[in-house]
Amino acid sequence: MSASVVVECRGLTKTYQEEAVPVHALRGVDLQVNTGEFVSLSGPSGSGKSTLLNIVGGLDRADSGEIFIDGTAVGSLSTSALADLRLRKLGFVFQAYNLIPVLSALENVEFIMQLQGVDAKNRRQRALEALERLGLGEMAGRRPGELSGGQQQRVAIARAIVTNPVLLLADEPTANLDSATTEELLVLLQRLNREHGMTIVTATHDPQVIGFTQRQVQLRDGLIEHDSVAEPV
Amino acid sequence: MSAALVCQISLRNLIKHRRRNLMLFLAILIAVAGVVSMNTLIRGMQYSMAEAAVENLTGHVKVHAQGYRDDPNISHSFALDSDFANEIPTDQLLGWAPRVRLPAVVMSERQTRGIQLVGVDPAREDISFLYDVELTGEGLADLDDQRVLIGRELAAQLETEVGRRLVIITQGGDGLNRERGYRIAGTYNAEGVSLEKVFIFTGINPLQALLETSHVTEVSIRLSDEAATDSALQAMTGFFAQQDVADWQELEPTAAAMFLFADAAIYIWFLLMMSALVFGLINTLIASVMERVKEFGLLRALGMARRLIVAQVVVESTLIMTVGLLIGTACGYGIYLAMQDGIDLSAFAQSTDMLGMSTVLVPRLEISDLVLIGGLSLIMGLFASIYPAVRAVKIEPLEAMRN
Repeated sequence: MSASVVVECRGLTKTYQEEAVPVHALRGVDLQVNTGEFVSLSGPSGSGKSTLLNIVGGLDRADSGEIFIDGTAVGSLSTSALADLRLRKLGFVFQAYNLIPVLSALENVEFIMQLQGVDAKNRRQRALEALERLGLGEMAGRRPGELSGGQQQRVAIARAIVTNPVLLLADEPTANLDSATTEELLVLLQRLNREHGMTIVTATHDPQVIGFTQRQVQLRDGLIEHDSVAEPV
Repeated sequence: MSAALVCQISLRNLIKHRRRNLMLFLAILIAVAGVVSMNTLIRGMQYSMAEAAVENLTGHVKVHAQGYRDDPNISHSFALDSDFANEIPTDQLLGWAPRVRLPAVVMSERQTRGIQLVGVDPAREDISFLYDVELTGEGLADLDDQRVLIGRELAAQLETEVGRRLVIITQGGDGLNRERGYRIAGTYNAEGVSLEKVFIFTGINPLQALLETSHVTEVSIRLSDEAATDSALQAMTGFFAQQDVADWQELEPTAAAMFLFADAAIYIWFLLMMSALVFGLINTLIASVMERVKEFGLLRALGMARRLIVAQVVVESTLIMTVGLLIGTACGYGIYLAMQDGIDLSAFAQSTDMLGMSTVLVPRLEISDLVLIGGLSLIMGLFASIYPAVRAVKIEPLEAMRN
């Protein structure tokens, strides 16, 4: 496997039981994501895009197949080793922002670094820089409940990127945002990808988001239907 | 560093749900304050009973002639060698008193009663209840005093009073009765009527003269600390090898049993109160975990280790318990200070007399009780957090995030 490959999936399958009826979310997906790519996983509801993103993110396990994240075979990792991989190599941006409500924006951004054992001074400096880079320097002391949806999502992005993860995963990151804020965020993600070489994989059904990505992977019925590279907007 | 993070999140969550946690905190505070103050009362009652048993002419250690306890007769008496006192360290020895104590019959002009006639050295009786009784008339002047001091209740039963004469009959070592008349020097009020009905005191020398002996039937030894009883008992058993040496627990088995019962009562009371609290604590912690399913899922998704999730629940439980414990203990101590002058139980004098305790209940604070309450409460707090912590750790990140 080439050193520039961040994600390598081979023959991934996943079946859920819904009221005793098997639902084949993935039917043998092969996917490779290289360093510096901005990839969208799209498709209709039930196509398997979120399932694939969750398996890539170590939040779910495939029934069969192999998956490597930055060279590590994820399938054989224990629960705690998987948690450690998420902590040290991945960044997450969720649809519902998912900030820790009792922590301020700054503390939320510091959170992962704190788990990683980064010293307090370094941690604070990096968190402030990340917030300022995302235009939230003045909001650092506010709790999530005191921020708008767009601001919360930007804090979530700051939290995800501040540790320089090898891969940033974003699950419907703009689903709860208005179009202006969505565009703002997409520009931000694109900038992170272009200027900082951040590898980003996002699951979405929003054409506006897909339009901002460099590579579009379309899924249908648990299989990759279309995988193309197009010039983003 | 992770520990600081866990404490920070736990503390903030406690503050966030302050109304609910305040209720729980108040419950812990009230329970702990109740347990602490009630313990001081039970301990006060316990030591009052023990004190009364010791003061009831028993002492911490008592020496009798062999056979006296089965047959209290002057023939079961012994010559006292006062060197025995050197066998007990001076800082442990509060005092000792030699006595001649015999069953006798007392007669007034109108009534006759069975009593215990006790020949004493009044100067040495500062170790028994006699030292602080309320007197009508006079006390005994010295060990040569030929008058008697009788209980107020007995005086009432005999329909006599200070200054009148009584006739007392007891048995000599030869089996023949000895009889003589005594003038009443005074009557004593011993809080409990049971003592007043039983004991008549006179000077030890005239009584020995009446019985034609220089022996005593008993020596009571009072120690400065109850904890020294075992070592004093050992020393006296060695010194009085030919006599019958016993400690107060053997001589006053009812009081000793009550002493142990009070110990048990303290633990039962504590366990009842704290068990009820633990269920409240578990309930609150589970509610807290269930409210934060998504948050715990997020923490797991972001890579927080399971042990840190457990630590969060444990820290929350421990924080509530610790703060409730500290303030509850302080309140309990305040209640103890407020009661320190004692609670007047004279309205229940018959009951206190029956239990062999003073009519003034003075609370007693034992540091070991506070340490025990504190330690056990924290252990219970940790115990209470186990189930909610297990619930928290079982939350699957993906499921939590979906919900």
